[in-house]
Amino acid sequence: MTEFKALTESVIKGDIKAAVAETQKVLDAGQNIQSIIDDGLISAMDDVGERFSKGQIFVPQMLRSAKTMQECMKLIQPHFKEGEVTAKGKVVIGTVKGDLHDIGKNLVSMMLEGAGFTIIDLGVDVAPAAFVQKVKETGADIIGMSALLSTTMPAMRQTIDALKEAGIRDKVKVMIGGAPVTDNFAKEIKADAYAPDAGSAVIQTKKLLGLS
Amino acid sequence: MKPMEIPTLQPRMKVIGREQALAIHTAALEILEKTGFKMEHPGVLEALAGAGCKVSEGGWVRMPAYLVEDALQSAPRQIALYDQKGNKTMPLTNGNPFYGTGSDATFTLDMETGERRRSVLSDLANYARLVDGLENISFCMSMANPVDVPVIEDIYVYVFAEMVKNTNKPIVFIADSGKDIAKIYEIASLVAGGEDILQQKPFLLNYSEAISPLRFPENVMERLVFCAEKKIPICLPSGSNAGGGSPITLAGAMALGIAENLVGLVIHQLFGKGSPFLFGPNVSVLDMKSTVVSYGCPEWSLTQAALADMRDELYGLPIWAFAGASDAKVMDAQAGAESMFSIITAMLSRCNLIHDVGFLEYGSTSSLEMITMANELVAMSRFFAGGIPVNEKTLALDAIERVVTGGSGSIFLMDDHTFENFMEAQFLPNLLDRSRYDSWEQSGAMDMYKRCNKEAKRILVEHRVEPKPDHILKEIETVLGR
Repeated sequence: MTEFKALTESVIKGDIKAAVAETQKVLDAGQNIQSIIDDGLISAMDDVGERFSKGQIFVPQMLRSAKTMQECMKLIQPHFKEGEVTAKGKVVIGTVKGDLHDIGKNLVSMMLEGAGFTIIDLGVDVAPAAFVQKVKETGADIIGMSALLSTTMPAMRQTIDALKEAGIRDKVKVMIGGAPVTDNFAKEIKADAYAPDAGSAVIQTKKLLGLS
Repeated sequence: MKPMEIPTLQPRMKVIGREQALAIHTAALEILEKTGFKMEHPGVLEALAGAGCKVSEGGWVRMPAYLVEDALQSAPRQIALYDQKGNKTMPLTNGNPFYGTGSDATFTLDMETGERRRSVLSDLANYARLVDGLENISFCMSMANPVDVPVIEDIYVYVFAEMVKNTNKPIVFIADSGKDIAKIYEIASLVAGGEDILQQKPFLLNYSEAISPLRFPENVMERLVFCAEKKIPICLPSGSNAGGGSPITLAGAMALGIAENLVGLVIHQLFGKGSPFLFGPNVSVLDMKSTVVSYGCPEWSLTQAALADMRDELYGLPIWAFAGASDAKVMDAQAGAESMFSIITAMLSRCNLIHDVGFLEYGSTSSLEMITMANELVAMSRFFAGGIPVNEKTLALDAIERVVTGGSGSIFLMDDHTFENFMEAQFLPNLLDRSRYDSWEQSGAMDMYKRCNKEAKRILVEHRVEPKPDHILKEIETVLGR
């Protein structure tokens, strides 16, 4: 979309000042809100994601673009009207019970947000019941669980069990990741997806929601 | 009168100056006094408050610099590890370097198929036995996070028991909390022949990690307090990897990692004054493309060399380090280059306890072949670090005269001086291949990986690990069964 060219370019560059100014410009011009988000911001982030997966840019550059997008969203949010803007999907995310490591989890959150998903971050040391409650409360599409320690990996299974007990296992997809987690482990505990890193978490999320 | 001997310069690398060292130390103290840290262990919180720290809501602690200086005074500088038979094999003093394996890799490079697969308990036995049989690998870590332990809560107890059964070298071990570490201590006491002997001649060291930036979880503190009280040597790096747990710039990453280490040291000395504490944060980098913590980068080697300088300038405590690992997925040229880079620099900067030997894939895969190769690379580096002794014997003026004036047929190879000195005068490789092309081809045209594979298999078959007495093995089973 040519009317968003300057906006997408500044998001890709991570130029917060320019991107915010461009956002104001398209808002003032009366552009459709959904279109600003989809064709301006998210399309810019798709481009950034692709450059990253090709190894053309580095993580800090990608995160700077995501931050730029967030700043633009702040400007757009007051213009939201009920039902006018649709999010791609909701993800409840957290580091599992007993585990306090959050760098990987935070990175995944940021990337998913950059890709246009709504993130509900429960933080670290998240009990199975807390995941269940949040899914019920928000109607989330996906749960993302992270663990750095092999001793806390069993909490992933326990969370899936808790979802079953609450009768909502079939209503939500489960995605797991973290240093000791493997694809086989994901299959063993019947998670729906395994993401070895933040980039693949975005890809898996899109797959789980039928967006790619 | 006997002539004076010419001292041999043993090459030693310096990477930072005194002013840099002081500035990093001062920055670490400032972090503790101004920013503070999060302590999640109630008992430790109380002890810190009692010692003069400012404790505010949510377990946030600010630590005055004098506590750090006190702890640095009381911590012992002369830490030594013993083997399981009570011999002092690792005096971590005078810049002595000792290399050993690493811990908890998820995968193992299968020795038969060469494939990367999930680690199991029997791998652990192989790693421990290989370490036992390699001359330049001084201590043992698990190398594997086995998927097949009967009770996951006791994974580290099973892992420790497996190591004890398969090596008599010193062990660096992992634990989860105050609970399993007590069981491990029980097994260690059985092996040593009692708690007193274990404390006198410790054959084990605990590796624990706080969480960067500046977070100290309860279960980690349980281990620290346990080790302080029982006088088990411990180190407590926190993963202040540049760009991950800490700032992207190495000076800031070091300051933060050292601050975290100093918190550990202060607590440790409060609970066990004079107990042994190995100093050293792990400051590698978070890779800016893959976000893995790199095990082959030059930065980690540089920061630990700087830490060795800070030890010499300021701290005096033996340090924890890494070497002999790689980010490569297979044992290829990258694996060779990266592992040698860290092995030689760790040697030249005189790091003390150097772990992670044998890792591939940024520490996620272990390889018997990598350890076997590292054994030889350590020997090569040790030779280099020995320098060039200059004396009457090595100047060999007599030999020169004999050969030069000896007429036709007189060559150095035939001279007695060569026969008497060649073993010491040269580094004699075992796996690094210098054979002539034809004989290399005839013996199977094997590359380094294949030769190391063959050698590892040979050691596993031929090397006999002196077994533990039956009654001790039985008692270990009893502890495992509880």
